[in-house]
Amino acid sequence: METVEGRLGQLSTLEEAIAAPAAIRLAVVDADSGFTQVLLKRVSAVGWRADLLPAPPPVEELNAMRLHAVVIDVAQLGSEAWNYLGRLCGSSSAQVVIVCTGASSVAQRVRGLRLGADDWISKPCHPEEVLARVEASVRARHAGGVSAPDPVVAGELEIRPDMFEAFVGGRALGLTRRELELLQLLASQSGRVIPRERIYERVWGYSMAHGDRSVDVFVRKLRRKLEGASPGWRYLHTHFGVGYRFDPQEAGSGSSPGPSASLPPA
Amino acid sequence: MARFSLVPKDREFFNLFEEAGANIMHAAQLLTKLMKTWPDAGGLGREILICEQEGDRITHDIIHRLNSTSVTPIDREDIYALASALDDVVDFTEEAADFMGLYNIEAPMEQAQQLTRVLEDSCRNIAQALARLRGMKELNHYFVEVNRLENEGDRITREALASLFRNGIDPMMVIRWKDIFERLEHAIDACEHVANILEGIIVKHA
Repeated sequence: METVEGRLGQLSTLEEAIAAPAAIRLAVVDADSGFTQVLLKRVSAVGWRADLLPAPPPVEELNAMRLHAVVIDVAQLGSEAWNYLGRLCGSSSAQVVIVCTGASSVAQRVRGLRLGADDWISKPCHPEEVLARVEASVRARHAGGVSAPDPVVAGELEIRPDMFEAFVGGRALGLTRRELELLQLLASQSGRVIPRERIYERVWGYSMAHGDRSVDVFVRKLRRKLEGASPGWRYLHTHFGVGYRFDPQEAGSGSSPGPSASLPPA
Repeated sequence: MARFSLVPKDREFFNLFEEAGANIMHAAQLLTKLMKTWPDAGGLGREILICEQEGDRITHDIIHRLNSTSVTPIDREDIYALASALDDVVDFTEEAADFMGLYNIEAPMEQAQQLTRVLEDSCRNIAQALARLRGMKELNHYFVEVNRLENEGDRITREALASLFRNGIDPMMVIRWKDIFERLEHAIDACEHVANILEGIIVKHA
């Protein structure tokens, strides 16, 4: 059972396959190079993807990386450890946080778990055990969480996250994964302007480099597909120098960026 | 007072250099368009490749003529250096365009669009200077402008690289764009090199 594919092959139902991510993406925040070297070798062998961060980055940066899990040695944070751990655990419900650190007292482990850590592993530990615990926590998070978001209907458009597609009048728009993620993000905050940088962080999973036109290009592609399939409607509105807003408006109904009166109830 | 020469000089070199100047300018214009419209650039990459091949052809013609001509209107080493430097401009231009496809670039960066405009301006100045090379005078303002544009290119490149090395940027994006920015900078530097060679030629003939 060396590979992720091997494990997936033994799952009996589709639900199980969905609940267990094919390739977990994690960050290892640890300055212990001996441990991280062995761990990352194992992570790579099972087909997961890991970023090694010897120093703890700002919590917002970790969130922007859209990880399944963060494995962190809190000892290197010194007196800031509890504060950082609390902020990390509270900042995102998408990623699990596993503390993997040296000798600790019962009180410390309890405090860490109560702050929101999903698991606590004491070093020395076997990398296989770390991986198994990460996988278990990610699986539990997926099982406990909601399944695919509900379909969204706006104007003539129906977004079906469960099918990774959007439809107009029953006809698929043929969206790429990135276009769909972009549309889902914009539609999830319908009527609100989302800054480019925020869109990039959420869809691409990294900070946006100054001058990068990726968001504009993908909005243009998406707009072309939306307006090609639904010419009587305008869905995406540009706020120059700021970002984009999803707000379905009939083409003849005036172009003023007013409130989202035409939106269906959430 | 007009200057007379007792030996006939092959004026065809001037035509070839003028042709090379028009060719680098055309390539740079195509690159500006490609960077502006990417990823909907259509066949622009192919057109730039044709310019690069045309540049090779002109360079070959110049070298061939140099080897078969006894008296040249410009010093031999200057003709050779100028032909090579012009070839470098179109080579780097083509490389930058090629990398856009090769690296599977999703979208352009504003700094790259600015750099292609700087390159196009530099090439236009070089092309205009080359078209007037026969007269060997009143070319200085072209060289001053190319030097100014090179400084502008350096500034934009530095800012562009700094933006890539901020925390949290996708490492793949850094790898891809660092290469492309460097190629654009090399193309602009090559224009400055052409201007320096031309300036040397003018000084010798003053």
